[in-house]
Amino acid sequence: MRVVQVSSLPGEKSFAEFEMAQEEQILLWHLLQQYPLVPAGHQRLSRNAKNQDENEVLLAEALAEQRTANRKQIAALLNEPGRFAAMPGAEELRVTFSFAEMDWLLQICNDIRVGSWLALGSPELDGKPALGAKPDVARHYFNMEIAGAFEMQFIRALGGGLAAGDIE
Amino acid sequence: MAAVATPEVHPDLEKEAGTDPHAELEPGYLVICWNDPVNLMDYVTHVFQTVFGWSRTKAVKHMRQVHEQGKSVLVRESMEKAEFYVHELQKYTLHATMERDSK
Repeated sequence: MRVVQVSSLPGEKSFAEFEMAQEEQILLWHLLQQYPLVPAGHQRLSRNAKNQDENEVLLAEALAEQRTANRKQIAALLNEPGRFAAMPGAEELRVTFSFAEMDWLLQICNDIRVGSWLALGSPELDGKPALGAKPDVARHYFNMEIAGAFEMQFIRALGGGLAAGDIE
Repeated sequence: MAAVATPEVHPDLEKEAGTDPHAELEPGYLVICWNDPVNLMDYVTHVFQTVFGWSRTKAVKHMRQVHEQGKSVLVRESMEKAEFYVHELQKYTLHATMERDSK
């Protein structure tokens, strides 16, 4: 997957056009279908508050509504005719996302990334994973890495990302 | 989602010390982002820029605090605004909470 064109326009008209292999489209499709992976109730408003606190309940309700809306939006995106367009004489596909869509896709991908990490037992990520022989472990690790790879593509297209010197 | 304050009608009593009716509007809550090693540094920087409208320099500074010190106090706000920011950060699956500022 690579960025072909980025157009920064006033208002909400900014967009980026990507070229992606058909295999990458399939990966993205399967990844988004898995949303949400972060367990409901994982997020807390405060570390000191109790579950039954009114504000905690309100936050949980707001996040649940958000998830429902996101699932609908994912279904609409994946089923939109012509969104992933085949180019004449080429095997790759072209897809265009607005900046707002990419920011939203970042939220979706990171839910999948964090949810996969939680399913792995929240390990430190400074070494090679102990995948072992359990297929679930490999699947969660794979999802986490693929979600991160798509995140980086969207962040770069949005003009973000760290520059040399940001990290010592 | 922010809580809606219900207006209260008080009898004509002298105001007690420490019961300022505007207390909830005063900046007294800290919005804190905690480190989850799974979040990419570029991603956290992007979220801080998007949610708070910060420059990249400021966003990177706070991202590094989270990464190196385990947490960063992002803003000090009223309860309502702090709730809003926590919700926004959690939409991006960042580990964010609000805590009463004891100072």
